[in-house]
Order: sequence, then structure tokens, then C-alpha cells
Amino acid sequence: MSGLRTAWRHLWPWALILALAVPAMGADYALGKATLVITYAIAGLGVVIVVGQAGQIALGQAALVALGAYVQAVLVGHGLAPLLAMPLAIAAGALGGALASLPARRLGGLYFGMSTLAFALIVEEVLARWDSVTQGAAGMAVAGFSVFGWRADATLAQALVSLGALAAALLLCARLVDSRHGRAWRAVRDDEVAAAACGVSPAAAKMQAFVVGGALSGLAGALYAHWIGFISPEQFGLVFSFELLMLAFIGGARRLGGALWGALVIVAIPQLIAVLRDHLPGDWARAAGLELVLFGAVIVAVVLLRPSGIAGARP
Amino acid sequence: MLAFIQVLTSGIAIGCVYGLVALSFVLIYKATETVSFMQGDLLMVGAFAALGLHLGAGWPLWLAAALAVAFVGVLGAGLERTVLRRAIGQPHLVAVLLTFGLGMMMRGSVASLPAAAQEVHRLPFAADTYAIGPLVLAASHVWVVVATVVLAAALAAFFRYTRAGLALRACSEDARVAALMGVPVARMHTLAWSLGAALAAVAGLLLAPVTFIHLNMGLIALKAFPAAVLGGLTSLPGALLAGIFLGVAEAVAGLLLPEGAKDVVPYALLMSALLLFPNGLGAGLRRGGAR
Repeated sequence: MSGLRTAWRHLWPWALILALAVPAMGADYALGKATLVITYAIAGLGVVIVVGQAGQIALGQAALVALGAYVQAVLVGHGLAPLLAMPLAIAAGALGGALASLPARRLGGLYFGMSTLAFALIVEEVLARWDSVTQGAAGMAVAGFSVFGWRADATLAQALVSLGALAAALLLCARLVDSRHGRAWRAVRDDEVAAAACGVSPAAAKMQAFVVGGALSGLAGALYAHWIGFISPEQFGLVFSFELLMLAFIGGARRLGGALWGALVIVAIPQLIAVLRDHLPGDWARAAGLELVLFGAVIVAVVLLRPSGIAGARP
Repeated sequence: MLAFIQVLTSGIAIGCVYGLVALSFVLIYKATETVSFMQGDLLMVGAFAALGLHLGAGWPLWLAAALAVAFVGVLGAGLERTVLRRAIGQPHLVAVLLTFGLGMMMRGSVASLPAAAQEVHRLPFAADTYAIGPLVLAASHVWVVVATVVLAAALAAFFRYTRAGLALRACSEDARVAALMGVPVARMHTLAWSLGAALAAVAGLLLAPVTFIHLNMGLIALKAFPAAVLGGLTSLPGALLAGIFLGVAEAVAGLLLPEGAKDVVPYALLMSALLLFPNGLGAGLRRGGAR
């Protein structure tokens, strides 16, 4: 019974938001945005594990999302069923995470953060140049998601598939965070030397965190590729990596639920900016740069005003 | 052979720009322990400021360039005073996100100017060449190298012989002890950001004749980060040398390797160097020498 009550306590704000959003924006549009929020939240969970739990600086998480998206797109493009391709996309993300975490065996902190950045830039370049497989910078179209002939074309179906994936991911993460692995991550985050003295291998813990974070990114990438229907290397650039970091930061990187709140904010910001632009007087509001300025201002404001995030502020 | 030397000189020139941006990054990191992800944007702002003063307001080029550098220096100091000061003592991620956000705001502000957006501009630098025997050097490349050498010498003198330079070094060595010795640490942080920003603006001016001025010219900072890390993150000469090394490596790779491999070379070198020499090439060499 108490389990139901806790679940309800976490769920009612979301039910309320959806109930308000559906009449305000139209059911199709609201569900489409909800799908996007959920998909971002899955990728955000990966960042929460790597940054919030294991305390590493990950500047290239978008590259792992890209790996998942491209593996899914290429395999489905060659006729594999989406449901069969998905485990491979997740594996690709996990493998990418393991590769990106290799320097963590010898480095910590900022050096390692820089190496994840370098990894991401290499991946982006390879995706843009490997024309024969990825169709290069022109990008590639991705077929819709389907299982045994049932096609998830309706926005409701897409939202439900994403929700199922997110629920599974959240459940897995909650188990992991409470397990030996989660304790190892937090020990490494708080003090690597102390963790090592207690028999926790920092290198192994960091790699596990990156494998889990990469797998979640791969899953998010695979779903994203289906929902958007078109992927190109530039979608997964540095800005996306920072969006994901910001997502975890806004939501509060120490809590799993933070990923959802952060994803809501990240998806909502462009909408709010669009509304704001229509109501601002003068020509300069139409200028191309305003969006960048406002987005940057939101990052700065959040970091300065709510350093522990929305979900993290509560006790 | 001639083609190789030709490529080498252009690699050294672009490497000097990498090195200068890396230098500005390391200068800030050493003094304040904060990571700046907006050096590329400061570089771009500096180039556009000079462009606006020269072509827009009609001032002579040297005055426009000097004022642009001064303006970006003041901008850096102002941002430190108002925003970046709060990142001191916080996890690196705070500074990373703050500076990235500020960089976005700078990029957006420049993009909002109708005259600046969407186009490639050029400063009316002389586009002539110098010929040394059969070797032909672009004047802009020569200028970059000369300016880098002069700047490096000036910085070295500043850190060695002036009170402010010595105080800045004391600060990066140990801020608490420096404070006890009467060094105004907070003011030194402002000075470091101001110097770092001005240095990035100089790099932007030097880059202007090579790649011209456009909104995304700040992306060059992404190649300066590997240089800063290769140099060991805390060594000013290391950052400059690593920048030049990366510029040359990139140019040589462009000559020898297939199309597209060139852009990956700095990052591949960085990854392998981090795996082999976790404390930076400088530390690796020093340790090797001490043995």
C-alpha cells in the first residue's frame, strides 16, 4: 500500500502537467512533446548516473546517444526489426561508454572530462565522414517504430513506448543505485582514495558507471531516431552534450527523478522562448541570436540561483 | 620537400593561434581553478569588435585592434566580478556550465546584429606574400608567428619582473599563502580573467586574416583544449608548445592522411597522450629527465 502511495506522490505532478498541457496545446502536440521529454529523460538518467552518482565530468554524452541512434538507424535500414535492433543499439552505447571511460583508469577530474570531449568530437567526425554507412553529414532517414506488424505511428503509441522504456530504465537505475555498485559510485564520487582504501576499485566503478550511462544513452538514441525520423551528425554535437549536462544539473544530478524534471525544462525552454518572441516588441526580437542569448541566460541563471537543482532542493 | 616545408609553416602559424587560446585557458585555470569554455566566444567577440570599430566606425586598424583587445579584457574582468566569481571553490562542472552559458549569450548577441550575422568578413590586412628563395610565405602566417613570439616574451617578462605578475604567480601557487603575504587574491582573479580574455581577443585578431571573421570562428577553441591538456593544464609554455605541436601535426596529417582525418588528429593525439602520459607531456618529460 505504501508503495502505491509513494508512486502516486511522484506521479501526480506529471499527471497534472499532462492534464493541463493536453487542452492547452492539443492532444497530438502535447503527446509529441511528452515523448520528447521522456526520451530526453532516459538520456538524462545516463548523465545522472555518470555525473551525479559517480561524480565524473562527462562532456561528450551526446556522442553515446549518437552511437545508439546510428546503430538503430543503420540496422533498421538494413531490414532488421526495430525491437531486435534496439538491444544492439543499447550495446553500442554501452561499448562507447566503456571506450570513453578508458582514460579514467589513470586520470580523474578535468583531464578525464577533456578526454570525454575529445572522444565525442572523434565520434562526431567519424559519423560525418563514414559516408558508405552513415550517409555522412547529409544525415539519414529512419523508419517508424514497429513490433510484429504493429506500427507506432500515433503520438499516443510513441509516448507509451517511451514511457515503458523510461519505466524499465528508472527501475533498473533505482536497483543499481541501491546496490553495491551504487555505493561504489558514490564512494568514488566523494573520495577516490578513501574508496580505494575500502577495497572499491575507482577505475572499475567509473567504467561501470559509464557502461550504464552509455547503455541508457544508446536506448534514448534508438528511440530518438525513430521519433524524429531523421538523424544527422550535427544533431549530436557539443550543444546537445551540454543540454544533457544542463538537464541533469537543473533536475538535480543527485536524484534519479531529477532527470525527468530537467528534461521537462530543457524541452520547454524553446517553447517558452518562441512564445516570448511573439510578445516582445520591435524587430530585434526576430533576430536569429535571441534564442541563443535566452538559452545561455537560463543556464547561467539556473547555475547561479539553484545550484542543487529543482528536485535536489527538496529534503 | 618544398611542399612539406610550406605545409609546415602554415601548421606552425595555425598552431600559434591554438597555442595562444590554450595559453589564455591555462592562465585562467591556473590562477582561479575555473575552467573556461568561452575562450572561443571571447576570441570571436574580439575579432568582431575590431571589425566594427574599423569598418563600421572608420577608425584606423591599429587603434581598432587595440581597443577591441582592451574591450574584451574589460568584458572578461566584468564577467568575473559579476558572475564567474561565484564559481570559485565549486566543482568544475559549475564553471563549465556557467562559461558555456555566457559563451552562448555572446554568440547570440553577435548573431543578433544584422550586420554581423550569416556572413564571412575580412579585415583589410595585406594579403601579400614573402618569397624566401623558392619558399613562399603568406604575410598573415608570418605575422601570426611574429606576434606570438612577441606576446610570449612580453608575458614571460610580465610574470618574471612585474609586481602584478609575481602576485598572480603566487596566487596560482597557493592562494591562501599569497593572501597572507598581502596579495589581493580577489583582484588577482579579476586580473587573470581580464588577461585571459584579452589574450583570446588577440588570438582572434591574428586568426582573422587566416580564416576570416565569422560567427563560428570560436570553434577553434575546441582544438585549443587538447593543446592545453597536452601541455599539462598548468604550464604556460607547455600550452603554447603543445598548440604549435598540434598545429604542425594537423598540417602534416592533412598532407599524408586521407581527407577528413586531419580534423580528428588533435583529439586522437590527446586521447593517446592521456592514456600514455596521464599528467601531460610536460610532466612525462620532466619525470623522464629526473630519472
